Amino acid sequence: MNIRSTRPYAIAATAILGGAALAAGPAGATTEPVGDFAGTVRVGAALSETGRYEREGEDVRQGYDLWAEWVNDEYGGIRVGDDRYGVEIVYYDDESDADTVANLTERLITEDEVDFLLGPYGSDLTMGSSAIAEQHDMIMVEGNGASEDVFARGFQNVFGVLTPAGNYTQSALQALAEAGAETMVIAYEDTAFPTSVMEGAQRWAEEYGFEVLAIETYPEGVTDVTAIFTTFRDLDPDVFVGGGHFNDALLFMTTADELGFEPNAFVITVGPSNPEFADELGELAEGVIGPTQWESVMTWEDEYFGTASEYAARYEERWDEVPTYQAAESTATALTLQLAIEAAGSLETDAVRTALQELDVETFYGPISFDETGKNASKPMGFIQIQDGEIVTVGPADVAEAELIYPLGE
Amino acid sequence: MTELLQATINGVAIGGFYGSVALGFSLVWGVLGVINLAHGELVMVGAYLTWIMHRNHGWDPFAAVVVVVPVMFVVGYVLQRMLINRVIDKPHLTALLVTFALSIIISNVVKLRYAGTPRSVRAAWSGSWRHGDVTIPVTRFWVLVFTVVLMLALWAFLRYSRLGAAIRAASQNREAARIVGIDIGRVFALTFGIGAALAGIAGMLASPLLPVFPTMGPPLTLRSFAIVAIAGLGRIHGALLGGIVLGLVEQYVATYVPEYGTTLGIIASFALLVTILVLRPRGLFGGLRPAH
Repeated sequence: MNIRSTRPYAIAATAILGGAALAAGPAGATTEPVGDFAGTVRVGAALSETGRYEREGEDVRQGYDLWAEWVNDEYGGIRVGDDRYGVEIVYYDDESDADTVANLTERLITEDEVDFLLGPYGSDLTMGSSAIAEQHDMIMVEGNGASEDVFARGFQNVFGVLTPAGNYTQSALQALAEAGAETMVIAYEDTAFPTSVMEGAQRWAEEYGFEVLAIETYPEGVTDVTAIFTTFRDLDPDVFVGGGHFNDALLFMTTADELGFEPNAFVITVGPSNPEFADELGELAEGVIGPTQWESVMTWEDEYFGTASEYAARYEERWDEVPTYQAAESTATALTLQLAIEAAGSLETDAVRTALQELDVETFYGPISFDETGKNASKPMGFIQIQDGEIVTVGPADVAEAELIYPLGE
Repeated sequence: MTELLQATINGVAIGGFYGSVALGFSLVWGVLGVINLAHGELVMVGAYLTWIMHRNHGWDPFAAVVVVVPVMFVVGYVLQRMLINRVIDKPHLTALLVTFALSIIISNVVKLRYAGTPRSVRAAWSGSWRHGDVTIPVTRFWVLVFTVVLMLALWAFLRYSRLGAAIRAASQNREAARIVGIDIGRVFALTFGIGAALAGIAGMLASPLLPVFPTMGPPLTLRSFAIVAIAGLGRIHGALLGGIVLGLVEQYVATYVPEYGTTLGIIASFALLVTILVLRPRGLFGGLRPAH
């Protein structure tokens, strides 16, 4: 064996492999607009393809792609004045990391020189990403960052189509109060979005006459909530209100089952409205209530994607799965940008910004119009309940398909 | 008083699980001198194997041991022979890089196949035993029992079998072991295989307790580090004790500090790690020693 060993090459190769695996490689643009377009509108989106938001990030991507493919292949391109423009989305993987998404947003603006930005998944990532957008005076329309913080900074260039976090629990808590619930416990992940939701929940609790018996927080990526749930069980509340992300939702239900914690209602922010929740938990998911931005049975409608259920059918045909509200609000986000560009008749930032500020439409996703902070002020929050393993819309009352079951009997 | 008792029970229960995770990590580090940064990913693979058996064939997670052990052993053996063996005598950094890259590869392959959706497994022995104000979660109890049995079995194997003696010899003095005719390459491969099987079992035990998803590995690897620092390297009872210490710290703080307790508990357990390493760089019981 030669003394001049292969060691340095082995190290170098391994380091390169490791480094390449680490680097946020470009994830590739969407379908290149094929067709007779006068130009291309280039839109940038940093999304979570890996990390703790990978499930939701996939929904967002599929929502954006559904829109882009429809624009290029069916709609004939975005109307910019008298011309039709194809659309191209440039994606990067933000790895569910706040620093990474900020860097990637900067890269999209300065290196890829996109025209507009579509938001990432999650309030924490949207905070960082939108700050960069504002700094460069680039418009970002987002649909997956609901935390109130996103809109509290006096930014001009950020527009969120979803119902803001503070209002997430409103309709559910109102219905529960009317059904007789009086006491409540709250547990939430101490990051931006769940904090906003639960601050809102405390406001609504006070408004609807609930007594809040305990409030507990936990860090992201928590693996054990036994101490919290033991405390809760001993307090014996009517309602459990919990918030984090999909991971936590699973952990809550299995821990509650383990410890014999049985309130009359579970309200959990993210998880229940995703079919995989009931799928994974089976009977443990029964009766759980979840706020939802959108369900396909709701009666919203527009001239582009049709009714909510027509949108759902289209999505299911394309992606072989039922759309979650994260997917629907992502398509709505992109659609909103398109409508603003068309109203403005140009790609100029100032013109499109004004068009967004004046926008007032109903879409398959719900009504969209922005207040002066960029929040969508006109869209009410719905909520579902898992009944017999099915996701059933039980509120708001005028779009409900079934009645809320309260209390959960055994 | 019952609150203290309850917190202690919770801490011991979760600590038993942490101990099972640390066991394979400690064994591999102690015998091969390799810090396997992909250990958490091996745990994750074990958890997925358990979920697959549960989901597709209705197996109880504890029953999955008959699948997890052989599969993970083979995976570990092959990995060691093909990859880890080449970096054993290299500087520590090389092994760290290789196992780190391995961790990324494994978690992404799993993600490609099963997507990032967190998965859930339920054991037949679930619910809890209530005794007055004190609750003992059933699944966690059995996880603890399983861990103790596992440790006894491992200890007996290392103490009483020929192979166990060979492994201990190799970890004490590699050259001397070679001289007396022990096939070091084979011993290392078997040890890594055992370490991987142990990781797989930890994953199996994790599946009814935690959501299972591709990136669940790193926090578990991190805790294994902490446990090894507290309890020393290659010490089987140390892994369990260290795990329990960690679990108790987390649970006491979580129980007694309202609102922020859970977060503070995790901070406290790692603050403990830092304190121990600063005050006693060789670990609490002196087990951490410099590389061969």
